[in-house]
Amino acid sequence: MPKSFAQLNYYEMLDIKPDATAFEIRHAYSAALQLYQPGSLASYSLFSGDERREILSLIEKAYSTLINDQARKAYNSELVLAGELDAGMEAAPAVKKPVSIFDINHSAAIVTVLTGNEALKNKVRQSEDIHAILSQKEICGADLKKIRTELDVLIEQIAQETKVRIDHLRSIEEDHVARLPAPVFLKGFVKSYLKCLCLEPVDELGARYMDTVARMSGK
Amino acid sequence: MALVWPIGGGKGGSGKSFLTSSLGRLAAELGKKTLMIDLDLGAANLHTLVGVPCPQKGFSDFIRKKVSRLEDTIVDTPFKNLFLISGAHDNFDIANLPYEQKIKTLRAIAKLDYDRVLLDLGAGTSFNTLDFFLISQNGIFITTPEPTSVENVYRLIRSIYFRRIRYCFNTTDFKILEGEVDRRFGDGSASKPDCMMNIISEAYPEKYRQLQNEFSAFRFQLIINQVRKHDNAALGLQICRMIEKHLGLCIEFAGNVAYDDHVHDAICQQVFFLERYPYTKTASDLRAVGRQIVQSTGKQLMFHYM
Repeated sequence: MPKSFAQLNYYEMLDIKPDATAFEIRHAYSAALQLYQPGSLASYSLFSGDERREILSLIEKAYSTLINDQARKAYNSELVLAGELDAGMEAAPAVKKPVSIFDINHSAAIVTVLTGNEALKNKVRQSEDIHAILSQKEICGADLKKIRTELDVLIEQIAQETKVRIDHLRSIEEDHVARLPAPVFLKGFVKSYLKCLCLEPVDELGARYMDTVARMSGK
Repeated sequence: MALVWPIGGGKGGSGKSFLTSSLGRLAAELGKKTLMIDLDLGAANLHTLVGVPCPQKGFSDFIRKKVSRLEDTIVDTPFKNLFLISGAHDNFDIANLPYEQKIKTLRAIAKLDYDRVLLDLGAGTSFNTLDFFLISQNGIFITTPEPTSVENVYRLIRSIYFRRIRYCFNTTDFKILEGEVDRRFGDGSASKPDCMMNIISEAYPEKYRQLQNEFSAFRFQLIINQVRKHDNAALGLQICRMIEKHLGLCIEFAGNVAYDDHVHDAICQQVFFLERYPYTKTASDLRAVGRQIVQSTGKQLMFHYM
């Protein structure tokens, strides 16, 4: 049995799915207005003036309900009670955000925030290897890599957190002197790398690394 | 048995005959043995459009019983695979085809041995037009993007469905039904098929199911003709959507055909537009629409209800 317009639910009136986003709702609303407004060609002669007014007021109501999150939730639960909507179907999907290229967050075991992470700080404090490396006179990229593997941190995680390009991080770790960025950038990159791994004191370690690199490139 | 396509559109001048001739031509080109019948009774001019200005025989010979079989009124056209039953030289009272003649014609059309039969129907919603439309599950509505034309195509679509509903009931039952619809939905709603179906579903569930089955089997298509550059290209889809939502009927949008002054030139020169101006936007639109329509298939309806 085809339903009359007034019997449709708000989603059907606007021709959208129950999980439509606010953007889609706004879009559907303006499309519906275009269809039903007086003088629209597509609905010409199909409705009397009263019918048209009624339809337009229904559309207005549908839009103002669905675009308001609270009103929409209340309306959804009404629909669920009436059996028109499956529970859980109606929730609008989370607004999409840009996804990181090295999005490794899907694995729950991986710590996402490194800087200032207490567990990481503890590890640094307790590990003797790291102490040994940090007390060296010279610190090169290979040493940094050793620390990183000791701490069980992926290079992608550092790239994601520091926003330093991953190929720069690799050339730092591999001591690829020719491929390293200019010293003025390198200094900053290494500092954020160190900060990311909770190694202290950042400024002093960074300076030591820069000296080591200067000596290596001078050779 | 032939696949019959009635082509109608409510308003005059929307390009029914022109599209019939073009679609016929395209179907013939695609290798289908195609027959066009000019059923715009009393205002026939399909023969002029397909290059047969003076056909020797025509539809009225069949009505006047000069020939006994409809096949004998067919004339060749200059094109391979394309044939015509013309309406030229009709008698002046042909527009009011009596009921028996109409049934005889419908039966004869259904028996024709062609791949495709295109019926060029006249403007308006006379019973002749409606009944010829109901011969097939296929059907093409043509409208232009103008309020007058849209209004008439809505009217035609409603009338066709209404006519089909009417066949289900005898006169007294139908009167009662009409009264009931008016009482329930207010005055004037008896002219709305959706209101009528609503009542039928309650009063005659059996008939409702049968009608619903039949309506859902219809493969009617809509073509928007004479679309100018600044016109809304989505109009066809919107109209189909409106029909589905508010009349409860399903019609498919077949495509837009662009407006072109060259159509007028081609008709004046009495040459085929597709041949004279094959590289215009209009011609490529026609080919696209034609291809889609030639491939779509519905069933022939039997006349169990007539």
